[in-house]
Amino acid sequence: MTTLDHAKVSESRPNPPKSLITKLNMGTGMIVGIVFAEVMYFWGKSMWDRQEAVMENRILTLSMFAWCIGFLIGIGAFIGPFRWLIGKDLTDEEQLFLAGKGQGVSRYFRYCTDHKVVGIQYLVGVMVMLGAGGTMAMMIRTNLITPGSKWVNAEIYNSLVGLHGITMIVALIIVSTGPFGNFILPIMIGARDMAFPRLNALSWWLLFTAIPVLCSAWFFGGIPTGWTAYAPLSVQAGGGMNAFIVTIIIFAISSAIAGANITTTVVTMRAKGMKWNRVPIFVIGATISVAMAIPAFPSFMASQMMAAFDRTIGTHFYDAEFGGSGWLYAHLFWIMGHPEVYVILIPGVAILMEIAPVFARSPLFSYTTAVVGLAGIVGLSFLVWAHHMYISGWLPSLNGPFMVTTEMISIPTGLLFLVLLGTIWRGRPWMKLPMLGVYALLWNFLIGGITGIYLSDVPADDYLHGSMFVTAHFHYTLMGAALTGAIAGLAYWFPKMTGRMLDERSGYISFWLVQIGFQVLFLGMFAAGSQGQPRRVADYEQAFATSDLISTIGAYLVGIGMIVLLYSVVHSWRKGKIAPMNPWGAKTLEWTVPYPIYLENFHEAPVVTSDPYGYGRSEK
Amino acid sequence: MSDQHEVVDLPPTPGERLRNAMKARDVRITMIFGVVITAFFVFIGLWFYPKFMPEIMSESMKRGKDVIVYFTVISAPIAGLVIAIALYTLFDRHHGDTPPEEAASFRTHTPIVFVWTLVSAIFCIVAIVWGLTEMNVNSEDATANAKTALVVEVTGSQWVWTFNYPELGVQSEQLNLPVDRPVEFRVHSVDVNHSFWPVQLGVKVDANDRVTTLAHTTPNVLGTIDIKCAELCGLYHAYMETQGKVMKEADFNSWVTAQGGHVA
Ligand code: HEM
Ligand SMILES: [Cu+2]
Ligand SMILES: [Cu+2]
Repeated sequence: MTTLDHAKVSESRPNPPKSLITKLNMGTGMIVGIVFAEVMYFWGKSMWDRQEAVMENRILTLSMFAWCIGFLIGIGAFIGPFRWLIGKDLTDEEQLFLAGKGQGVSRYFRYCTDHKVVGIQYLVGVMVMLGAGGTMAMMIRTNLITPGSKWVNAEIYNSLVGLHGITMIVALIIVSTGPFGNFILPIMIGARDMAFPRLNALSWWLLFTAIPVLCSAWFFGGIPTGWTAYAPLSVQAGGGMNAFIVTIIIFAISSAIAGANITTTVVTMRAKGMKWNRVPIFVIGATISVAMAIPAFPSFMASQMMAAFDRTIGTHFYDAEFGGSGWLYAHLFWIMGHPEVYVILIPGVAILMEIAPVFARSPLFSYTTAVVGLAGIVGLSFLVWAHHMYISGWLPSLNGPFMVTTEMISIPTGLLFLVLLGTIWRGRPWMKLPMLGVYALLWNFLIGGITGIYLSDVPADDYLHGSMFVTAHFHYTLMGAALTGAIAGLAYWFPKMTGRMLDERSGYISFWLVQIGFQVLFLGMFAAGSQGQPRRVADYEQAFATSDLISTIGAYLVGIGMIVLLYSVVHSWRKGKIAPMNPWGAKTLEWTVPYPIYLENFHEAPVVTSDPYGYGRSEK
Repeated sequence: MSDQHEVVDLPPTPGERLRNAMKARDVRITMIFGVVITAFFVFIGLWFYPKFMPEIMSESMKRGKDVIVYFTVISAPIAGLVIAIALYTLFDRHHGDTPPEEAASFRTHTPIVFVWTLVSAIFCIVAIVWGLTEMNVNSEDATANAKTALVVEVTGSQWVWTFNYPELGVQSEQLNLPVDRPVEFRVHSVDVNHSFWPVQLGVKVDANDRVTTLAHTTPNVLGTIDIKCAELCGLYHAYMETQGKVMKEADFNSWVTAQGGHVA
């Protein structure tokens, strides 16, 4: 297929660039990556005795990094920087080639700098990850269908829990800012591309290299630690843990790059007249989210690098016997971990705040409140991490202060509710798929937020910590709020991204299956947690049987609903109804460009004269 | 119906404005919804948790449960308001392939934003003060009982709990406790992190390698306690559980003697 497209390009252009760049794609990347990994592996084996765990971990970790570097070399990520090193740059022809000009489908398999291509790459990548994570969730719930079911053994079960967790967390971090932040956001602010198109491509392909690494964990003994990968358990764990560590380090770099790129784009490349108070709220939310990740993720990366050192060269950062501490890990992890949950949540809510005015035909209620709410959450979320460590014993006297900061988050969170409610109040909601998401969020996030307040209360957390109740709480927020927002965003922007409407009937079926199944699943889990069932257990007692059975039934409903959604997306993408330019009558800039969108989005640079929320009778 | 609010001509004073707003049909119906839903959540709070939580065998457990129950009750009006508004808007929904007519256009409403923030701040403060008070009671109890407390050293290792009563010279894999006598759990681990969770006693504390963490409580009901591990600790984490008993003082003493210990 690649050669065919290549031939087409050569035909259509008098002077095809003969540069190396044109010959590189995902395939060459994989070849070079695998070669690098193999070379590293055998070289490592000859250098170090493989009998010891430390050596084995060292070889595996280095081989995984070698794969990533090899892949990036093979796909041509470093050609540009290399030219700079020798004092040159890519030629114009090459730049255009990188931007994917006239290349058809093959550009999705190349190092392509067009933000729209990167957006689609992220979208497909996220869907694959959600599919994998979802399959594992179904397996987890299947094992828990009855006490003592032993459908899978404890080892596999623990691996499933860990891989499900981290796959979903990574997928949710990028689920909105990846596809929509790259594809839609630049158009929304009237930009021709992102500020750093090559970094944009780099952020996606870096992430891509992490996916096979994470999958490889299965073959090296899984991730038996849960997504939190607490030390010293993670130091003790087998080869699969290396995959976790490498994935996180790569992902942290990727998201730092993406964050710098999106932030710079929004700060510097807004259309003429788009003052800060005219920026669409999704843009604000996406920017806040990625900007928050910039200070947060290095802490995660550091925590994993130290774990890697402990595992591969025998340092003792987390080993109490030699003066290390597991608490050190927990702190590094949660200093990232709590901001990260809002990195996930905020874009989802922001999408729904973008959607609500369009479908209720009334202005976004109190834009300032929305921004203040988002900013308040950001500020506070760096000050609450130890609510995950109330009962760890590290310093019980600080539980009080952390409880105060944590409960204060409910105030800015409440403002987000006010904005959504104020927007739909006295509107006539147009019950399209995106709008359903707004209602689903109001309910789900309400439950998630209120149960969060129980958990932030120390005497209650003494009971609830480490139980299924916590699992239910964060699924209400992560899945019920953030993922619901992302799916609504997909339905909303699908016409702009694919030129076709998302099929409504299957969309509705999926929505109801997922949302109803979700309630059954996690209300059952709240019950199990209240009854005293610990989380992350492969087996449980008879006392929890009913609650768990209910949960599993709910899980299957969600699973079926997600399959219907997948069908809906694939089917609509291929033969859905052709979408008009602005099917929802929305006022943001992305709806002013026709599909297919020109390479540089706008023929004429747009000028903005008001915010995009001028709905309602008295305003035009 | 959708035009109802249009005819309301807002007079200047806040009091009158409020009264007029209350007369609007949508406001009234929403409020009725709100009350019903609030009642529903109050019911859930008072019924669900007590029904689903295990037997309460200590004051700390009771405090934890109360927090959950009363926080549900306190947040019921918030839930009621949010859901009522959302539900009410659904009455006037629009289907079809063209957008509905434009709705009212109000961009903000400062008094509402202000009141909303204020009310949520009050709720927040109530929650904080409540939590801090309960926490304080727990730790005061612990200090008051420090002298008389029965010391139990709890050791977590992959994947068993062992209990050592240093003052009594007993070591056991079962946790027996005399009723109404304060206990101090001194918890540590010899390998990875575990979390010591005597479920019905409502306390929990992590077991860390080479560090001792403390948990205090006073079992006040006779019966069986489930002891679990609440921190993923490797392969058999799910099976790292045992049982304990809260027994009469005399029974406890004879158990201690039978185990070869000495009664203080
Ligand atoms: C009002 C807002 C919230 C409050 C007060 C709150 C509070 C808490 C507390 C205290 C815990 C620790 C529970 C424990 O381990 O014992 C927790 C866990 C968690 N929360 Fe929230 N939360 C809130 C909102 C959110 C949101 C919006 C998200 C994500 C989008 C979220 C995701 C999580 C996750 C992932 C965990 C568990 C992590 C783990 O142990 O694996 N929370 N929350
Ligand atoms: Cu948190
Ligand atoms: Cu455990």
